[in-house]
Amino acid sequence: MSDSVLLPLLVLWPLAGGLAALLAPRIVGLVLVAGTLGNLALGLFLAVTLPGGDPLAHDVGGWGAPLGIALRADGLSAILVLVTAFAAPWLALHASAAYAEPERRYFAGLFLLFLAALNGLFLAGDLFNLYVTLELLGLSAVALAALGGGPAALAASLRYLLATLTGSLAYLLGVALLYRAAGTLDLAQLAGQGTVLPGGAVAFALMVAGLLLKAAVFPLHFWLPPAHANATPPVSAALSGLAVKAPLYLVLRLWLSLYDGAWPLVAELLAALGAAGVLWCSLQAVLQARAKLLVAYSTVAQLGYLLVALALVPAAGLTAYGAFVVLLVSHVLAKAGLFLAVGNLARRARHDRIDGFERVVHHMPLSAGAIALAGVSLMGLPPSGGFSGKWLLLQAGIASGRWWLVAVVLLGGLLAAVYIFKLIEHTFGGSDRPEATALPRRMEWAALALAGSAVGLGFLGQPLLGLLGGVP
Amino acid sequence: MKAFASAALALLLAGLAAVLAWTVTRPVTPGRDVPALIAGALDVSGVSHPVTAVLLNFRGYDTLLELVVLLIALAGVRCLAPLPPPRGSAPVGGVLRELASLLLPVLVLVAVYLLWAGATRPGGAFQGGALLAAAGILALLAGRDRFLWRLEHRLWPLACLGVAVFLAVAAGTLAAGGVLLGLPSAHAGTLILVIEGFALLSIAVTLVALFLGTGELEDRDP
Repeated sequence: MSDSVLLPLLVLWPLAGGLAALLAPRIVGLVLVAGTLGNLALGLFLAVTLPGGDPLAHDVGGWGAPLGIALRADGLSAILVLVTAFAAPWLALHASAAYAEPERRYFAGLFLLFLAALNGLFLAGDLFNLYVTLELLGLSAVALAALGGGPAALAASLRYLLATLTGSLAYLLGVALLYRAAGTLDLAQLAGQGTVLPGGAVAFALMVAGLLLKAAVFPLHFWLPPAHANATPPVSAALSGLAVKAPLYLVLRLWLSLYDGAWPLVAELLAALGAAGVLWCSLQAVLQARAKLLVAYSTVAQLGYLLVALALVPAAGLTAYGAFVVLLVSHVLAKAGLFLAVGNLARRARHDRIDGFERVVHHMPLSAGAIALAGVSLMGLPPSGGFSGKWLLLQAGIASGRWWLVAVVLLGGLLAAVYIFKLIEHTFGGSDRPEATALPRRMEWAALALAGSAVGLGFLGQPLLGLLGGVP
Repeated sequence: MKAFASAALALLLAGLAAVLAWTVTRPVTPGRDVPALIAGALDVSGVSHPVTAVLLNFRGYDTLLELVVLLIALAGVRCLAPLPPPRGSAPVGGVLRELASLLLPVLVLVAVYLLWAGATRPGGAFQGGALLAAAGILALLAGRDRFLWRLEHRLWPLACLGVAVFLAVAAGTLAAGGVLLGLPSAHAGTLILVIEGFALLSIAVTLVALFLGTGELEDRDP
């Protein structure tokens, strides 16, 4: 059996897990463990199979494009599948203690289907199939955001639903225009065609605008802070860490492969949006009084760096591409860890007002440590993954003559330090309240493991870039 | 301020409509003739209607994921609040009751016919499922809600059945031939009918359950 079987298995396995969780609530714990660990094993297998050879491809149904659908995996897909698969078991571990029945069953079912959607999206080689996986991802994310939350979570997830549906429809409209002009939906057959097809520019504008709305990129981020801040902690971590990265990944694929990174104006626009997002939303994060809102605004700010890195790829090539990937992976890990840790603090205190947090470093040393470690990566201090990513980003900026980028990265890092220290000040300082109930330790370990890996990623930059390969 | 925002939005949408109108009136010369490709492969697809061939065979993977979308919608609604137990509704009399007893058998029959017809003409699981769901809702409105109790107790097995069978076929083809959903052309017609049959049931159950919605949600005005 050929290695390409891995690609459909990465979709079928979590899909079957999601069904099992909905069907058999009694063994939900087992299903979560088997679902996420099996997915991690498949992801690791994909990562060790890929280097050296050609990108993997699986021809669904054996029909071939343009009649059938292709699944494809290159270095970028493999890295994204792998980081998702690595974060998932920790989120599941945290969730196993965070939820009671019946929420646990719905979380397990929806979370595994969410994983299937992410894997499907990272491996899809077909524009319409990408739309279907985007829908799966958006709906499962909205359902998760409403899960177990109060009225505020419900209202926020409704707004999230409307935003994500609008984004999907804009994307679909663009796909329809491209299909009309080219007679195929296959990404490989469309490679480099976007600029010459009639209506290609309109299709590009529609698809990218829809995806940027779904990715909550500044100034289209209005729906993200309430949705991510009012969800339960494992969900906030999954949404902030993973869900918003998928549309950005798709922007990269479309722009760099279908449109060959065309039109200098697009690069300038993306860079400007990214830089504005870094500065404005870091400032918003500093001004927040609620810890979860602070972390949510930090997500939008960090998405700005990704956008800047993406904008530099046509000019700076592999350096910017590497910066995009390293920043993305380290943000997945750091933000998931930070949301879990802040969630632990909020659960102990029964609120998430920062100035109301008491000194918990004695009682919850692991969560406090997770906040510090995640902070190191978000601020971009060495030796973290965030540092490696920003270092590459600066190199790419200087190589392409964009000196203003140095100021943005420095100022963004400074603002990140301010909001992270705002969290740390109340975790390590403040008044003590020893009688508060203790949390299950596994909720703390999950946060620490994710935040620690964000720092550890700083040592894994070379293997990561090796797996990534060249710019698509 | 609000009027200004509305005007700006209207202007934006009008601009978008104009750009779209201009785009779709431009001539295109797609290098590939997909309808001809579909017609050429129809013989080995197991069905003779091109739409069904695309939905269940050529792009069956998309349809599998679309069925999962329905399932997620149901889980997303049900996780909000549990449904209260059905309270024996007041007997409905007159026209509605008579109409329901006339229409219900016909609706069920037409739903099954649509499923069967899908192989050769317009029809299929989604259309049949929607009709069967309409029959279920009509029965509810006419006070014939005895089936509701059974439905609630078996909701997840029934709602998951369509995806589960499709998934089993997908895993089976992957294990047997190494190609996801590579339906062997000799059995493709039967496999498609089996997939669609269970999908029809799950679609109908899911739509009826979505019609019922959730239990009372807290007053939501954050």
